[in-house]
Amino acid sequence: MAKFITIGERLSTTAPTVNKAFLARDPEPILARAKAQLDAGATYLDVNIGPAEGYGEDLMKWAVQLLQSNFDNVPLALDTSNKAAIEAGISVYNRSKGKPIVNSADAAGRIENIDLAAANDAIVIALCNGEGIAADNDERMGYCTTLLERGLSLGLSEDDIWFDPLFVVIKGMQDKQMDVLHFIGDLTAMGLKTTGGLSNNSNGMPKHIRPIMDSAMVAMAMMMGMTSAIVNPNDLRLMETIKSCDIIRNDTLYADSYLEV
Amino acid sequence: MPFTKKLQKFNATIRTVELGTGEKAVKLGGGSTFPFYTFDGPTANPAKIGIEISDMGLENEPDCIKAFYEGCGSVAEIAKKAASFEGVDFVVLKLEGGDPNGADKPVEELVNVAKEVSEAIDLPLVVEGCKNVQKDAELLSKVAEALQGKNVLLLSAREEDYKNIAAAAGLAYDQLIGAESAVDINLAKQLNVLIKQLGVDLGKVVMNVGSAAAGYGFDYVISTMDRVRAAALGQADDSLLMPVITPVSSETWTVKEASASEEDAPGWGPVEERGIDMEVETAVACLTCGSDAVILKHPTSIATVSKMIQALS
Amino acid sequence: MALNGIAIFKLTPKKNCKECGCPTCMAFSMKVAQGAMTIDQCPHMSEDALATLSEASAPPMKTIKAGVKPFADNKNDSDKEYSLGGETVLFRHEKTFVNKTRYASTVCTCMDDAAVDARLASVSAIDYDRIGDRMYVEFVAVDCAEGTAPEKYAELVKKADAAGRSLILNVKDEACAKAAFDVCKDKKPILNAADASNYEAMSKLASDAGVVLGVSGASVDELYDTVAALEKLGNKNLILDLGTESVKSAFENAVLIRRAALKDSDRTFGYPSIVNVGKLASGDAHMQAALAALFTMKYGSIVIVEEMSYAMALPLYGLRQNLYTDPQKAPRIEPGIYPINGADENSVCLTTVDFALTYFLVSGELERSGVPCNLLISDAGGLSVLTSWAAGKFSSGSIAKYIQEFDIENKIKNRTLVIPGKVAVLKGDLESKLPGWNIVVGPTEAVQLVKFLKDMHNA
Repeated sequence: MAKFITIGERLSTTAPTVNKAFLARDPEPILARAKAQLDAGATYLDVNIGPAEGYGEDLMKWAVQLLQSNFDNVPLALDTSNKAAIEAGISVYNRSKGKPIVNSADAAGRIENIDLAAANDAIVIALCNGEGIAADNDERMGYCTTLLERGLSLGLSEDDIWFDPLFVVIKGMQDKQMDVLHFIGDLTAMGLKTTGGLSNNSNGMPKHIRPIMDSAMVAMAMMMGMTSAIVNPNDLRLMETIKSCDIIRNDTLYADSYLEV
Repeated sequence: MPFTKKLQKFNATIRTVELGTGEKAVKLGGGSTFPFYTFDGPTANPAKIGIEISDMGLENEPDCIKAFYEGCGSVAEIAKKAASFEGVDFVVLKLEGGDPNGADKPVEELVNVAKEVSEAIDLPLVVEGCKNVQKDAELLSKVAEALQGKNVLLLSAREEDYKNIAAAAGLAYDQLIGAESAVDINLAKQLNVLIKQLGVDLGKVVMNVGSAAAGYGFDYVISTMDRVRAAALGQADDSLLMPVITPVSSETWTVKEASASEEDAPGWGPVEERGIDMEVETAVACLTCGSDAVILKHPTSIATVSKMIQALS
Repeated sequence: MALNGIAIFKLTPKKNCKECGCPTCMAFSMKVAQGAMTIDQCPHMSEDALATLSEASAPPMKTIKAGVKPFADNKNDSDKEYSLGGETVLFRHEKTFVNKTRYASTVCTCMDDAAVDARLASVSAIDYDRIGDRMYVEFVAVDCAEGTAPEKYAELVKKADAAGRSLILNVKDEACAKAAFDVCKDKKPILNAADASNYEAMSKLASDAGVVLGVSGASVDELYDTVAALEKLGNKNLILDLGTESVKSAFENAVLIRRAALKDSDRTFGYPSIVNVGKLASGDAHMQAALAALFTMKYGSIVIVEEMSYAMALPLYGLRQNLYTDPQKAPRIEPGIYPINGADENSVCLTTVDFALTYFLVSGELERSGVPCNLLISDAGGLSVLTSWAAGKFSSGSIAKYIQEFDIENKIKNRTLVIPGKVAVLKGDLESKLPGWNIVVGPTEAVQLVKFLKDMHNA
């Protein structure tokens, strides 16, 4: 097994500062957020530019080049529903530190992003859902099969399809939490890789509770074999939990200072 | 179906550490495969061999070693002779005379010996302390100061004395540091982290992760080195990506297989041959698990191991 | 190694027919991988897929049996023949290596009688005990020089057989091989003879005699093809010769073959190996020692040298013993009396625990002191001094019991017993349990033993 891969989620157009900086092509706020995430231990950075209709290609190229030139070709997840923007981003992407991640495909309207990843030798995050959230794990596994078969038939390696089981919110779907975790276990038994927007589970909880709940969730998910997650790397408790779980899973070698490296 | 040769590629490379200066400087490490797996990728720098000598001259050496240095009147002359043997890449001066429970030589005297040896040879130099934590902290710091500009390696910084030795060698006088842990893989990593936190450039650090003679608890040595190399390359663990140096002769010449006289061990054959094979086989086993450099002392052992390294590189 | 779900899924028809009871082929594959269902519950698996699956569940590397043991390796050994191969991991820290490397010395029809006699005498001479294991040269390799007459080869084989070790027949000529079998096939020799040009004939010979066939090739690819061809003939009783082209290529073959078998589940290379370092470094005994160590580490099942000497054997057998220990268990020393520096019944006694590292540390220091002494090792659970004391396994009771069980009082006349300084607390109790003994508290660290013993000796 390899070390858990954290994908930093803080470069998102949903954050007003980021949105403003994207639109104005203002490097400073973007670089500051990127640096904070990398210093905290993020492996990949997610670049969520939103739909960006009309200007997505230009914006994604700008963002990829800005981040990779400032941070030693940091590997990136290109996060948008705008396919042309993803392709534009890949066209200027440097792979020396890792393949680009296409974020994301699903088994319904966005299945063609599998094709896009296969055509560009990229990793793809494959959401195990169709139209709406799957009702149970059988349905999730059906979507997973669809996505996997499509990828394999196009020459993608199964290692480059990272399945997202779709974390669901505890306040509202408390009784489904173990299903999601068991599904990660099923995918692991299959020999497949997994990722996902983990903090969704704690949506709507008080601010001081969320890091605690997210840390518990990541520990349980890692126990089930989860290989990656899209997280806020500046959540210290969460990152310490991930580093500790990596030690327990024997994916990094223990040393007394393991939290400091 | 024909055989499909599957290669093992890692996304990490052991740091290259240069020892010594000028034409005779040697490079340790730099590999990104398991030892001698040239089919997986090219060998950056073949493993190197150091020859061990002592500030005590030939006093404590077995007869077969004494014979090679006949006529040498000083440690500097011994060093010169040692540097001339086939296959020797660097000289290792052990300052064992500093041991407070032994000869307890003063620091100044030992520093002078180190200076004399350094001036007598043009090969890179490694200086090893006397193993006494208090004495080494002062001794190795003074040696680092006296040999500035020679890019020597100081053995060893341990958990107990790394602050003094690593600070002097790595920060004040720009020398190389050997981080020593006794077959404890977690401590091996921790010591590297601690040295880095002092502000030392990790490109100046080599590791000694412990050693033993073949047959004498060597299982721990095998697994420690196998796991260090596997974690360094497989997990791209920056805190473990340093070359490994292993003192072999200091372990092998005292065990009974190598030291029992022919009267005491009838049937075992000549003691010199036993000493050589114990040294050779232990060195080869260490190299196979990940040593980037080994320290030996019998010229025949050195020539043999050197020849094998060449044959496998 | 069992296949994971995705590998099974790739073999399924992917029809999602639900006849197995699962909603999808993916779900079915997952259940098979987890052991909840078996592959035959799918009615639509192809023949090829089933064959692949059944092969995948077989062990990745065969255990091949050869030779006849002249005696047991140790007191737990009841095998009559040598087991070679059968490994499941590439590194000892993953899991215990199972079948240790065996060694061979060489005789050849090109040697004169005196040289052959001397060589065979050297084979018998190496026979000693190391921490409970009997160390000896298990095989004699009998080389057949080109152009040797069959009767001459048979004569040498017969002579070699008389040395009481198992045989490796290094021979390329069919008539010579046949002649050799007439004198030794009951001893289950290894017929190291097959290559791309002669494998059919040699395979028949080996199979008829029921012996292991050694296979070699000009390259790793040719070796692979020849093994595949032999398997097709039904011969799966093989050992792979790593070749004598160069040290580099033999080492490359050793690693590639073992890795293909264990990591990539390539069953064609799932056989033990044989390497002739006598040929790779002919005439250079020290280089042969180096290479014997190299191929013991990676991954020779049998290593052939020209002549195994004590110099070569002592470190080599120690290395092998260390390499094949259980990585999860602390190595232990057999309880007993270990005389040091020529000790006799009048020499002082010291005792410590049976944890191997403690033993080596202590016995090394005792040797360094030059003082004759008896080291008494009792069963302390393989733990260090303080740990075994805390666990009640190194106590006045256990030491007194050991003295009685091993009949120490009749074997040793000296009545001074030095105990480790760390368990000084045992002194009083021991004095009352062992009347007549002078119990002395020794140093707390092994390094202090030299001075301690010298002082005691001179006092």
